[in-house]
Amino acid sequence: MKTAVANEHEQGWDFERAAMPYVDSLYNTAYRMTRNSEDAEDLVQETYLKAYKYYDKFEEGTNFKAWLFKIMKNTFINNYRKKKLTPHKIDFSEIEESYERVIQKNAPDLIKDPETEIFQDMMDEDVKRALDSLPHDYKMVVLLADIEGFSYKEIAEILDCPVGTVMSRLYRGRKMLERTLLEYARKYGYIRGEAEPAKMRSRKDEAKPRKKKDGAGDEPEAQEPEENEEAVLFTGTEDEEFEFEVEETEEEQFEVE
Amino acid sequence: MICREVKRVVYFFLDGSLGPNKKQDFDKHLKLCPDCDARTKLHERLRAFLKRRVTNLSSAAPDHLKTRLTRSIRAFRNEWSAR
Repeated sequence: MKTAVANEHEQGWDFERAAMPYVDSLYNTAYRMTRNSEDAEDLVQETYLKAYKYYDKFEEGTNFKAWLFKIMKNTFINNYRKKKLTPHKIDFSEIEESYERVIQKNAPDLIKDPETEIFQDMMDEDVKRALDSLPHDYKMVVLLADIEGFSYKEIAEILDCPVGTVMSRLYRGRKMLERTLLEYARKYGYIRGEAEPAKMRSRKDEAKPRKKKDGAGDEPEAQEPEENEEAVLFTGTEDEEFEFEVEETEEEQFEVE
Repeated sequence: MICREVKRVVYFFLDGSLGPNKKQDFDKHLKLCPDCDARTKLHERLRAFLKRRVTNLSSAAPDHLKTRLTRSIRAFRNEWSAR
């Protein structure tokens, strides 16, 4: 096998030059996957070493960043599977229903004032918690699409799954995340809903998980990340009930028909 | 297009992934339906909010990590060259 090392003279410091610009993206995504900086650093290091080792397998002209992300995802799954987490079930009809309730309660207030940043007072900690409340697979597609800017096709490549699965996870992941953000926003007074008056919170409250107040509303609580340590790992079942007809166009864009 | 269909494809509309005919139907519906129009804008704003805030939460990879990466890549290279 011709390794990157065998090619050293031709490639020189190519790999480092090519790969190092993505270290911040990889590190931040690793951090959001592992939720811990030590694990994130280890994951990034393992990813870089594997990528270097298999650099000759990288196809010129394809997206190098997506290739690195794919290696990182595989490494993460391998390490993660060793911990034998049980898959987490999601009740999608519950999500749709509670989303409708939440949005109907809050949307009028939010739409009134299109100029201000939505939830500008929301604390970073709550944004982070909302993101971490998503099951792993859903968090990944949302991060890859909406933060890292990968296309459906690139995400499908990174996650080794069909484009339809990416789209379906995106749909659901975004919906769950919006619901959680809207719930936090109402609960903690970033927007004024009907159920609970705006209230002040101090920084001290940030660290500890908040308990549900009696009569705080009839919506189910947003999942606390602490209670959501299991992940959905390629259970594959979520796609059966929700399908898009997708078409690959000449430009290799996927379109919903 | 009915409101239910709008809800189903709204994210893909925002991704610019609707086929031309579907996109036309979608645009037409928004012009006639203030509810769906408002909802679409809300989704758009939530997405922008998330992107802005998560990007702000991001930090540069720590310097010691960069050093560690460079060092381990070079060590690996030397190890192989020595064989």
